Amino acid sequence: MEKLAKAIIKFRWLIVITVLVLTIFFGYQMRNLTINSDIFSSLPDSDPAASLYKQIGEEFGGNNMGLIVLETKNIYTKEVLENIQQITDTLRVIQGVSTVTSLTNIIDIKSTEEGIEVGKLVDEYNLPQTQEELDSLKKYILSKDLYKGSIVSEDGTSTVIVFTLFQDVDNKSVANEIRTKVLALNLPETLHFGGMPMMLDDISNLILSDIVWLIPIVFIIIALVLFLSFRSLKGVVLPLMNTGIAIIWTLGILVMAGYELTIISNIIPVVLLAVGSAYTIHVLNSINQNKIADKKQALISALVYIIIPVFLAAATTAIGFLSFIFGSYLTMIRDFGIFTAIGTVIALILSIFFVPALISAFSMYNKTLETDQEENPGILSRLILKPLVTLLFKHPKYIFTTWIVFIALSIGGTFLIKISVNIADYFKKDNETRISEDILQQKFGGSAPIFVLFEGDMQSPEVLETMIRTEKFMKEDTFINFTQSVADLVEQMNDAMGEGKKIPDERAKIEQLWFLLDGQDIMPQIVSENLDRGIIQSRFGSSKSEDINKYLEKMNSFIQENSTEECKITLTGMTSVYIKINDSLVNSLYSSLTIAVILVILIVGVILKSLSKGLYAAVPIIATIFLLFGCMGVFGIPLDIATVLVGSIVLGIGVDYSIHVISGFNYYMKENSNDLALAIEKTILSSGKAVIINVLSVAAGFLVLIFSQLVPLQHFGILIAICMIGSGTGALTLLPVILILVNRKRKIIAK
Amino acid sequence: MKRKITIALLVALMVSGNIFTAKAQDANDILKKMDNVMYSPKDMTGKNKIILIDKTGKEEMREATIQQKGNNKRMFRFTSPASQAGIAVLSLPDDVMYLYLPAFGKERRIATSAKNQNFAGTDFSYDDMESKPFAEKYTPKLIKEEGDIYTLELTPIGKSEYSKVIMGVHKTNYFPVSTEIYDKGNNKVKQAKYTFKKVGIYWNAEEIEMTDLKKNHKTKMQMSEIKYDSGLSDDDFTVRKLKQ
Repeated sequence: MEKLAKAIIKFRWLIVITVLVLTIFFGYQMRNLTINSDIFSSLPDSDPAASLYKQIGEEFGGNNMGLIVLETKNIYTKEVLENIQQITDTLRVIQGVSTVTSLTNIIDIKSTEEGIEVGKLVDEYNLPQTQEELDSLKKYILSKDLYKGSIVSEDGTSTVIVFTLFQDVDNKSVANEIRTKVLALNLPETLHFGGMPMMLDDISNLILSDIVWLIPIVFIIIALVLFLSFRSLKGVVLPLMNTGIAIIWTLGILVMAGYELTIISNIIPVVLLAVGSAYTIHVLNSINQNKIADKKQALISALVYIIIPVFLAAATTAIGFLSFIFGSYLTMIRDFGIFTAIGTVIALILSIFFVPALISAFSMYNKTLETDQEENPGILSRLILKPLVTLLFKHPKYIFTTWIVFIALSIGGTFLIKISVNIADYFKKDNETRISEDILQQKFGGSAPIFVLFEGDMQSPEVLETMIRTEKFMKEDTFINFTQSVADLVEQMNDAMGEGKKIPDERAKIEQLWFLLDGQDIMPQIVSENLDRGIIQSRFGSSKSEDINKYLEKMNSFIQENSTEECKITLTGMTSVYIKINDSLVNSLYSSLTIAVILVILIVGVILKSLSKGLYAAVPIIATIFLLFGCMGVFGIPLDIATVLVGSIVLGIGVDYSIHVISGFNYYMKENSNDLALAIEKTILSSGKAVIINVLSVAAGFLVLIFSQLVPLQHFGILIAICMIGSGTGALTLLPVILILVNRKRKIIAK
Repeated sequence: MKRKITIALLVALMVSGNIFTAKAQDANDILKKMDNVMYSPKDMTGKNKIILIDKTGKEEMREATIQQKGNNKRMFRFTSPASQAGIAVLSLPDDVMYLYLPAFGKERRIATSAKNQNFAGTDFSYDDMESKPFAEKYTPKLIKEEGDIYTLELTPIGKSEYSKVIMGVHKTNYFPVSTEIYDKGNNKVKQAKYTFKKVGIYWNAEEIEMTDLKKNHKTKMQMSEIKYDSGLSDDDFTVRKLKQ
């Protein structure tokens, strides 16, 4: 270890210059950083539900669906219809838009006295003008289930324009163009934009503004905490510079590896700022506390003392992040884990190599060496740490019991945890997109597309009959307003031919009705070209897991009864994918936590050469994780793609405090010939300060996420802050108390 | 001397005047001449082959017989594929259309209020299929003369889903060579290529290839066994005939 420390000092200039060059290089790479807000691109291809959903999107172009709601007093006026048409025409000519369906261009099959009309609900080149025409349009629309509640609200005050995008287009720029061009029409009606492409565009913008606003704030807050703690410029600049460089390298590597920033990985800078600064703080702290007169020797000796605990701290944190690789279903969570782990390792390497090299290269040694810290204890020691030590020895059992009670309460709270994967929930309640989604859900059955896929001969009467039956069954669900399929159209056509509203019983008739349907805009959206696959399109009006689960259960048993060799029925859609993500979040949580706990205990045990000490070190953090889930349950913070990360991150970061305490304890036990009371007092007085500073800076850093525009990130910030305080407190109270209590039964001896 | 100058001036004026009017007239003239080439036969019978080509290059074929009288009466009768054989469409003046489906044994009047709908799965809209003279539907402007081809820019008269049509017209024979159709956002959405062949005294569109650029889908309409002026009567274009 000493060799390494000496080498660092010897090659200080080489280290400083290398870091500088690499930073410029990675910084240059960052110019290609892009944002991908699409959560669905993060679904693994190997998953059947996800791949069917993607496949249906490609084949029928239905899942990339956006909606514009137009609200006014009464939509059945000449002016409003003209405006709807203007929006329709505007959307239709935007590159990347695949289909547009609105009141002014929706397909309509009318049977009239003289015959049949397969055309549009209204003639877009000859919109209804007179009151009479408008009234009859209203009456007609309200008489047809296909339009009422799906394209026009029943109260006649709003209508929806549905559009789908091609699969391979740049969602964000198309969505942006749609918004800009439609708003540029300057229509008097109120417009709301919703659906996946619009939400993703919004999320991208929010991610961007988060990055621009939050990172500087985190910087300033951490700088403030550091200044208050170290009261020196060096104590502020070095940790921040170090993590700043680590962030640049990490993002540079992310770009070079061909990745994009996602809704999750956009918090990598915040996480690294909060986490990475700790290593430099410990290194600096160790250098500051070393009182050897020879500056170079002091630096080496300080390094020798600190390298192992800092390495341990970083290794466990990185394990916390890496545990996402094994447990996660969404690729973006996995990627987040990988790159934050990389960032952590970079921050570690920099604080061990770069910080001492810099200090020695620029002779930034501590000038206040004379101040004897032990004689002049800081406020922290006097007001908090000293009384704490007294308390620990006086009432160890009370403290222990308090913790047990808290943990018990938390376990109770765990049962109240809700899961949220609905993307609309990511927006704050007053966000325009969120409002749009709420309106869509209230009036038009939501924006979440659902599909039932039928594989079979689409012109066979039996298959079409089964489709009709399925649709009837679906519409019994409260959250399904309408359904649409080729079977509906065939039924209506048959009616128009004067044979009643039913599927013809002869295949020949269906084939001939098809002649009129062929080439209709809607056909490629509901039936495959070779007529061997068809879908029922609908939207599901709830994002609550209970509702979705109930629907899926019902549908699955229906499908089991009705799916045959000739007509294979499969269910998919956003709801199916949501449920999949839902389950995966829970699985991901369990597996990543389990992996993290085991690895942390092992690593700490191996390094401290004692598995029992590894276990002791893990106790406070496991207690903290119970607290975390208790808080989520009690305060109604749902488990989502961001909060699912908290457990493992907290485990990785929070265990550091215990490691510092237990390795300090080990050190002082040896130094003071196994006098436990003295060892604990010394440990708390020395490591306690670093722990508290670190808890404060990490918690403050993450609390900045409260100002994030995205709700999951707000929750994420709050929870991490709570957990940091929890695990810090645990390391300074629960851990020593356990050591005291264990020692009473069986003397602990440091090896 | 003076007279010579005057005459020269007069000649110059006449020539230049001619040039002036020539431009404006030419576009209208060209279009009218093109309409003449396309719609001059009294009647026509023939076979029509429709080839649909999707973006992967997969082809699907339909065949029909076609009878046409003037430019506003037409009978389309499908002969293949088997599932569509016997289906017939009769178009009469003033957008009146009848459809006969043999499996039902019934005819129905079909309304084509939405003319931008595609005809029977092809890339031709009902609008594109209409035999209304171009000069009645568009205001032309001559924008280019190059090689054998006049290029006209046609602006729709009245409501249309198109913003403009760029049309190439053959200089000596006045049949259309190509069209490029632009939507209201000024995006090129469709394009057509024409191959004309002389049958008797008339030019016949032996093949029209229409491409929907948005869908990347193509339709080829090929005509064969064309007979002109065989004396079809209005009786050949009735609902009774449709059902036969």
